[in-house]
Amino acid sequence: MDFLKTISVAASGLKVQNGRMRVIAENIANADSTADKPGADPYRRKLPTFGRRFDKELEAHVVELGRVRPDQTPFRTKYDPGHPAADQNGEVKLPNVNAVIETMDMREAQRSYEANLNLITATRRMIARTLEILRV
Amino acid sequence: MAVTDIPLVAMLKTRLHWHQTRQKLLAENVANADTPGFKPQDLRAPGSSGGAAGASAVAVARTDAGHLSLAPARAGEDAVQARRFDTTPSGNAVSLEDEMLKVAQNQADYQLAASLYQKSLALLRTAVGKR
Repeated sequence: MDFLKTISVAASGLKVQNGRMRVIAENIANADSTADKPGADPYRRKLPTFGRRFDKELEAHVVELGRVRPDQTPFRTKYDPGHPAADQNGEVKLPNVNAVIETMDMREAQRSYEANLNLITATRRMIARTLEILRV
Repeated sequence: MAVTDIPLVAMLKTRLHWHQTRQKLLAENVANADTPGFKPQDLRAPGSSGGAAGASAVAVARTDAGHLSLAPARAGEDAVQARRFDTTPSGNAVSLEDEMLKVAQNQADYQLAASLYQKSLALLRTAVGKR
């Protein structure tokens, strides 16, 4: 049945946004994770990637979460000589996580998730309407 | 003669099928709303297939059942309806608002066609004398 395929495609979208949310949560949780040795690197921000794949069974392009890649932007630094991770100059490297960017990404993921949910609701109504034809 | 051979019922059946296929395409668009380089797709409205027939007036003859047809994999796709003006830097051109609007419209049209289908069945039932 074609409608069930529709729901499967929308579900692939839900799954991907869910995985994206997980990566964002990881970034926000580690926004202050510094190293514990002098000069070592702190937590590096992770970026989820998306890719589409043609599913032969569903005959549609479903979306998939690709490899999670590290963000290559430089780390922030803070002057804190007493910190265990401080280098010779007293600078501590902080993670390259920006709370504002993460919040925006989170909103976007939320919005896309809701859109997929909406689609499933609409499709379910269409299925219900089809079954109603039987009832006269 | 089956009920589905009656022109009115057959037409409604085609219409329902069209909406079903469109719903799947819209689901693809929404699922890939964040995929880099993805372009949304849409179906051509039923009954306006004249353009496609005129475009491929010359066709390759299929003299054997094993020959592949040269028809496009996704015949009936509407490139105009699906065209977007806003493309993000990642090359994605899906507008979620637009897609949601189309989903709502598709759902309403489907329900209309389903109601008409039901009514025409009721009409037949009246004709055979059952109430």
